[in-house]
Amino acid sequence: MDLERPGGRGANQLRPMDCSRNVLSRAHGSASCSHGETRVLAAVYGPKAGTKKNENPEKACIEVIWKPKTGQIGKTEKEFEMILKRSLQNMCLLNVHPNTTTSIVIQVVHDDGSLLPCALHAACAALVDAGIPLKYLAVATCCCLTESGQIILDPSKLEEESMKAFVCLAFPSSVQSVCTEGATKDGGEPAPHGIITSLTHGLMTVTEYFQCLEQARAAITPLSKILKRKMQSQPASYQS
Amino acid sequence: MEQRSANTWRMTVNEKKFIETALLSDVRIDGRGPFDYRNVTIQFGSEDGSSEVQLGQTRVMGFVTSQLVQPYRDRPNEGTLAIFTEFSPMADPSFESGRPGEHAVELGRIIDRGLRESQAVDMESLCVFAGKWVWSIRIDLHIIDNGGNLVDAANIAALAALLTFRRPECTLEGEDGQEVKILPPEEREPVPLILHHLPIAVTFAFIGSEIRLVLDPTHFEEAVMGGKLTATLNANGDVCAIQKAGGEGVIQSVIVQCLRIASVKAADITGKIKNAVELYNTGRALRKIERYTDSVDVSAAVWKGDENIQKEMDKLRLETTDGIISQSDGKDIKIHSSEKDATSLADKRPSSSIIGPSSWDPYSRGVNAEELKASLASRVSSTPYTMDVSVSSTPPMKPKDTTMDRPIKDADTITSLPQEPPAAGDVQSITSLPQEPPAAGDVQSKAKTLKDAVKPKSLRKKKTFIK
Repeated sequence: MDLERPGGRGANQLRPMDCSRNVLSRAHGSASCSHGETRVLAAVYGPKAGTKKNENPEKACIEVIWKPKTGQIGKTEKEFEMILKRSLQNMCLLNVHPNTTTSIVIQVVHDDGSLLPCALHAACAALVDAGIPLKYLAVATCCCLTESGQIILDPSKLEEESMKAFVCLAFPSSVQSVCTEGATKDGGEPAPHGIITSLTHGLMTVTEYFQCLEQARAAITPLSKILKRKMQSQPASYQS
Repeated sequence: MEQRSANTWRMTVNEKKFIETALLSDVRIDGRGPFDYRNVTIQFGSEDGSSEVQLGQTRVMGFVTSQLVQPYRDRPNEGTLAIFTEFSPMADPSFESGRPGEHAVELGRIIDRGLRESQAVDMESLCVFAGKWVWSIRIDLHIIDNGGNLVDAANIAALAALLTFRRPECTLEGEDGQEVKILPPEEREPVPLILHHLPIAVTFAFIGSEIRLVLDPTHFEEAVMGGKLTATLNANGDVCAIQKAGGEGVIQSVIVQCLRIASVKAADITGKIKNAVELYNTGRALRKIERYTDSVDVSAAVWKGDENIQKEMDKLRLETTDGIISQSDGKDIKIHSSEKDATSLADKRPSSSIIGPSSWDPYSRGVNAEELKASLASRVSSTPYTMDVSVSSTPPMKPKDTTMDRPIKDADTITSLPQEPPAAGDVQSITSLPQEPPAAGDVQSKAKTLKDAVKPKSLRKKKTFIK
């Protein structure tokens, strides 16, 4: 029994995505990403000298600052900062610039559901724009579970609030969009795979979780194609 | 500490000298004249009360939100206004997150003075229940990109956000009428804030030893300047605030010159803000129509009129919605425009006919563009408070049929319409107003005045289709 989604979207249909790089003039790298109505702006400064107090000086340090649209900075913002930082730490090549700090500032412009995936895409694009060396690019989606057990991708804010549970998943982007042969090559490094980040809200059974995982995994290849296409070199868009 | 200073950007001596020397020949490093403003672009977000302003390379976002709170003791029947400035670390490598620094506080204070003390925002209209419940307006300004002159850009962002913000309606309930219930937007259209005037901040920088004056400094010029002056004026020429906090001393004639230049620029920028807000409002009204036609069954009768007529209707529809928006009565927009829209969106929706008076004959004659213009123009000219000569002689029309179950009957704007020429009978019925065959003579003889009421094509606003 299919759920009626506003705008006539299918259960596996994602909202129109847009990603543009180099939107700010002062930042070393910047990107703006939008999933439907959700819009996030990301800026990267770095690498800057020195690491924070408790960080390992033999590696580069990633710092994430999450700015909500209105209101004071509270626990949710700190949680997002921590999640993004850990996801991006895995992505960046930390040994290239030891004893440096790279700051990523995320500004939420509008939140209409699936905020974390949008922020992750914006952060990746901003890092690419800044020229920070990365191991791979991440793609992320949000999956939610309806009362009837149906799984839908990329929910809007209203849908998220009325769902039984939802999960945000981030994966390394598909290698298939780059290599013509399969991901397994003799003598080459194995392509990164697996789940980078998984964040659940609400109650779901283990089987339902794995079903969500499968559906989200199916979306990796098309998403990575779209993202890579958008991230290709564009003229600077901050010139007025 | 060393890390932070190592990360800040510093201006070199050559760059400083270059800027100062160039100014001696009235040349600025970005090619502007000393009193030229950079390009201002004002965009709006999808929500009400969110704006993004780009002044050259400076970008500022403004968000306005409202909340019901208890008023201050000494002002029990006034709402409150609070401005929060956020110098985001993405704007400049030297901005730190955390507590606002002195520049952030100064910027917030300048904008606050311009808005609050000049009484630009009407506070008394924000009162719901004197002494108990008032609306508290909160403006959040996020500086996204520091290209210089943050005050002006932030001020424009704040004004644009305030002008497009809509606060929800609320009713008093409870036994003693003290409980306030906020009505959702589907029940009652949210209302805009009342702004008496728009205070525009204009910033000047004093550069060099001969105190050269430049308007709207970029961040290179700000690093070189000896002093700064911000004058907040409105389009009427009233000075709302002047801020010159230290820096180089300047003679009085320079200050007076600044004020004179600022008043010209303020009028200019006020015009730009108003245009942008109007465009946004028309787009918003169109979006509202689509939302409401979702919930109400709309006739699927296909309106086969040709392209030109469709465009004319749309153009005029935009004008009429504009005229009605200024009355700030959302209901009118909904009813009035959705009727017209019923025809243009007709082929997309299934129907139960609301346009179904028995006298309707859709395709007997094509619609004459001239008459269409005339009849719709008469609607424009007959807004409730100004009735033209052509209209005053005709009695208000009451809808004959009650095939429509929507509350169209009490729509004042429609019932106060004049009689329309019989040849435009199709047009009338499309807009679901069954008319008795009107006295053709009435309007024909006044055809000249009606046509004069129609704006010539060159002055008509451009049609904007926003889905």
